[in-house]
Amino acid sequence: MKIKILLPLITAAGAALLTGCATTDAHYVQTGDREQVISLNQINIQDYANAANNAVNDLLTSGVLDKVANPPAVVEISRIINNTSQQIDTDLLTKKISIAMLHSGKAVTKTVDAKATGYQQENEFLNDQKATRLPDFTLSGKIIETVDRAGNTRRVTYSFQLSLNDNKMGTQVWEGEKEVGKQGTRAAVGF
Amino acid sequence: MKIKNLFPVACAVATLVVAGCGTTVNSVENAQKDGQRTMVTDQRVVTDPSLNRHVNVVGVNSAMTPGGLLRVQVELLNRTRSIHHFSYKFEWFDMNGMQVNNVISASITDQIEGKESKMISSIAPNPGCKDFRLKLIDAE
Repeated sequence: MKIKILLPLITAAGAALLTGCATTDAHYVQTGDREQVISLNQINIQDYANAANNAVNDLLTSGVLDKVANPPAVVEISRIINNTSQQIDTDLLTKKISIAMLHSGKAVTKTVDAKATGYQQENEFLNDQKATRLPDFTLSGKIIETVDRAGNTRRVTYSFQLSLNDNKMGTQVWEGEKEVGKQGTRAAVGF
Repeated sequence: MKIKNLFPVACAVATLVVAGCGTTVNSVENAQKDGQRTMVTDQRVVTDPSLNRHVNVVGVNSAMTPGGLLRVQVELLNRTRSIHHFSYKFEWFDMNGMQVNNVISASITDQIEGKESKMISSIAPNPGCKDFRLKLIDAE
């Protein structure tokens, strides 16, 4: 009799332990937390974070931004080619990198705001100033998707390739690549 | 008789299960090192002993980048024979001990093979960052 009463409680406690106190009700989460969704058919937000983290660490360690005559370096975010099967907003990658460069004090990025550019040109004309400083570097890159299959198992690898181009010399002064690989039969929640 | 025959097979299966089909890492490196690590005196808080076995912090060293940013590198060692997934996150603090907002502060998921020694590193978001904290979370 006692066992009959305890059984639902034990089952509930066991279920709670197994699920790790996870809930399916809507709740706020942090990027890269334990409950992140891992998709096999698309780049997840934590994949962009991972690639940006790698690129920033590598770029700032290289010291290439410190080699300009008048620091901070001026960087223009150029084209990021999307060679994947999905439509993506490359700002998810490049914005993190440009913010990190700006916060480091090593570089500023050229504005893409039309109004700001208009005011700057007007200022130049009214004050008879010299033309604006041209960007020292441009940041360009490519995102490539590679898919391998074995039965029901699918392995997808996203390669984030980035290049920092010296505009005066016409050379690539820094290049970085981060591969993010995911394998499974279906999307999952968790690491 | 049948049980006697099955015993070695059962033992082999049990060994595989216990070992988690794990493969460990062999490595070789130059014995006389030219580079010298500047080790950091660290302070540790271990709340997950299991994770500490799988992803054990061996040591922390730091260096400055050419641009004057602090860079830290943490050596991890998997003391077990099985591969382990974990997540890590670096936090940075200024000279007043205030945490510095970092756009790339999201947790990074990583893995370490059995008996593998692995380095993870991070660079300070700005030259004003003086201190850091590494958080390690089990991802199994």
